[in-house]
Amino acid sequence: MIREEKIQIPFVYAAGQAGSRFLVALRDDGRIMGSACAACGHVSVPTRSFCPACSESDLSDVELAGEGNLVSWTEIPGRGVFALINLDGADGALLHRLIDSPDKLAVGQRVRAQFAETRKAHISDLAGFVVTGAGP
Amino acid sequence: MTQRPVFIAGCGQVGPVAEDPRSIVEMVLEAVEGALEDVGITHQDIDAIVTASVDILDGLTASNIAVTEVVGAVMKPEARIAADGMAAAIHGACQIWSGAYDTVLIVAHAKPSMAPYQDLMQWAMDPIYLQPLGVDFLTCAGLQAQALAAGDAGAEQRWAELASARRAGTPAAISADEILASPIVASPLRAEMCAPMEDGASAIVLSAVLGKHDGRPQVTGVGHDLAPHDLGDREPGIWRGLERACNRAYSVAGIDNPASAFDLAEPSCLFPHEEELFVAAAGIGNATVVSPGGGLFVGHTPVVAGLSRLAASASAMRQDAGCRRALAHGAWGPAGQGQAVMILEAGAP
Ligand SMILES: [Zn+2]
Repeated sequence: MIREEKIQIPFVYAAGQAGSRFLVALRDDGRIMGSACAACGHVSVPTRSFCPACSESDLSDVELAGEGNLVSWTEIPGRGVFALINLDGADGALLHRLIDSPDKLAVGQRVRAQFAETRKAHISDLAGFVVTGAGP
Repeated sequence: MTQRPVFIAGCGQVGPVAEDPRSIVEMVLEAVEGALEDVGITHQDIDAIVTASVDILDGLTASNIAVTEVVGAVMKPEARIAADGMAAAIHGACQIWSGAYDTVLIVAHAKPSMAPYQDLMQWAMDPIYLQPLGVDFLTCAGLQAQALAAGDAGAEQRWAELASARRAGTPAAISADEILASPIVASPLRAEMCAPMEDGASAIVLSAVLGKHDGRPQVTGVGHDLAPHDLGDREPGIWRGLERACNRAYSVAGIDNPASAFDLAEPSCLFPHEEELFVAAAGIGNATVVSPGGGLFVGHTPVVAGLSRLAASASAMRQDAGCRRALAHGAWGPAGQGQAVMILEAGAP
């Protein structure tokens, strides 16, 4: 015998102070913010409260270009194309979605951020990335 | 080694099977009884227990509480690891090395047939940046595989052949052509490249005092490591965490040249590209036999996988006197975020 259940529990997740600066900049200015580490120089995205490369917390916010290079991608049938994007000026990659991606993709291909028209300080304020050119 | 020995004294295994109709407790009971019987002991001979389970898979909070009685942990020290069972085995080995206990029972279970796995693994991702986009473990695996396939035109054919080779001679046997004809699940990964997800449980008795006279294999090195959660904070095409875990284990075991050190490797790889990542990170050579029974490609139970690989390694060493040293591996989290390895050496012949 079995008992059926559907777990539905309302939760609120705090984005944190650093994460909130990232989300508010998306919403209010259509800008992508990252964090530059004073200790090791690593530039991470989204904004952080400590450096993912060296764990130091002496960070300053930096505005990143809305453009970058494709690092990797995967198409999941029915769910779209996910991608790792190395934004110009950042060291790590941002995991997000590609919009209207062509059939053939290549590492290093140029992509540009596209913002949602209605924004609510949510990761989907960044609607995704569109491919704008060939690789280097 | 100056430490006291840790023997893999006995093993008990349930599954993997696609859908076990029993309760988790009944599955764990069979695995625990199997392990105790393999050593010829009872619960009274166990000093402490380490369990591995993941709440989200069981649909419970504190999923170890549901198995407290069946693992014999009432009125005994129990520690719980919310990761792959290999991490629990390392925890138990360290308890023995510390001198705290002589004999520790390690138990791992999971029953993924209880709920839609994609929903669960999406819930396991970062709730601010990744969950809302629909990112799950499969997404991360696809991104990792594509990072390897880009600029490697032969990758898909090679992966199909590898996944086919692992299943050869098993009921799940399938040709490389059939694998390449199966649907894409997360490009470039295809359905038949993936290890099938199944229910299971595993129990292992580690001991400093039991198993020596039966020639049971001995743990001579352990290593454990975590990479950042977000794939964007990692190098997507390398398992750096496994490199670090292996280097720790090799250092403890006194292994200078992993390329010629192992007769057997039992990795926890869910996709063929992960086996390539494993081989590269562990630095094993062509003389090492990898997953002779098919590894996880014939059936994979999350949480249990690493412990089942440890049991498979110990079993191979007990059956084949020529198998002198083995590397057993567990991995968990998105795209191998968590990594753990154990080195086994055969007992006196
Ligand atoms: Zn830093």
